[in-house]
Amino acid sequence: MDDDQSAEELITESLEAVIGRNPYEQKRVNQWVSSVVEQCLGQLSKLSKPFKYIVTCIIMQKNGAGLQSASSCFWDNTTDGSCTVRWENKHLYCIVSVFGLAI
Amino acid sequence: MAFKWQEALCTSKTGFFIMANQPLPLSQETLAQFNRSMSTEPGASGPPRRRLGSISTRRSSKDQSKDQPHHRPLFLRSMTLPSSESSFLSPTVSNSHISMGKRFSFAGWHQGGRVSFSGLYLQQPIQEVYVENTYRMGPEPGCRFNASRTQQILQATLDSYLEGVCYSPDSCSQLCQMLADLVLSKLKDVNPPRYKVVCQVVVGQSGKQGIRVSSRSLMNPNTDNYTSAVFHNHSLFAVALVHGLYFE
Repeated sequence: MDDDQSAEELITESLEAVIGRNPYEQKRVNQWVSSVVEQCLGQLSKLSKPFKYIVTCIIMQKNGAGLQSASSCFWDNTTDGSCTVRWENKHLYCIVSVFGLAI
Repeated sequence: MAFKWQEALCTSKTGFFIMANQPLPLSQETLAQFNRSMSTEPGASGPPRRRLGSISTRRSSKDQSKDQPHHRPLFLRSMTLPSSESSFLSPTVSNSHISMGKRFSFAGWHQGGRVSFSGLYLQQPIQEVYVENTYRMGPEPGCRFNASRTQQILQATLDSYLEGVCYSPDSCSQLCQMLADLVLSKLKDVNPPRYKVVCQVVVGQSGKQGIRVSSRSLMNPNTDNYTSAVFHNHSLFAVALVHGLYFE
């Protein structure tokens, strides 16, 4: 679907703009997470579609540890959907999930 | 010929589904013969007949999902069987309820299509579902998403299921999904009407890494809410996020 592809592009762009190639820094990660989520939400609301959005962002330092993420939703399959983007650089992993629920 | 075909239906389950998807060209003579045999011998072939009756009204959601969205289950007019999986071999169908004589057509095994007695398919009109206005602008008082109760349920679920569990890459992916489904099923019981629920569970190995989980949503603060719970032990950590959104 076009909407899903454009949502993925939005998310990837905001991740690269906010984090880029920076290493994981304890002091800055809070601000990164807020920026990524705010940018994604801002871009999605600019699409002016009748949806409520939930954006979730997980940033984890690359240390050899494992990470799993799963979601389960009670909604209308015909009108609602989600998009998850896995992104990484040399120093950290990032998982951003966007859920769009029709009003 | 009619009896042999009847036996073939009863003895092979898989055969039924193949038959159900293919139209069966039966001559009028064969149908008449079958109808005569059904009406004259009520007791002789009791069990096979029962199964036939069950087969005709069995509908599984798996089969329906493959076909077009607009299809209607084929019901025998003389029978009112619940369309559950157990009805296939249901012993509760009595012979007296089955009158397969006049209104039954073998050619109608094809899912989603009504057929005439001669075996030709009739076009099924697609019936739209009309939903009436409820004139409701918001959730009823007392029927809102209860964040504190949801948080208690979340925390209790995580504590009970992850106590003493060690992180393993093979099993934790399934564990994560299972937790998400479990939390959703528990929340469905306490969920107020007209609320959609989104539940996300993150499970990770407890190492010396830094991690940050955050979420933001565009929603109506009067009607919608969210809650979260965290669990941590020596081997793993888990974060559960639940959002409840009112569906207008």
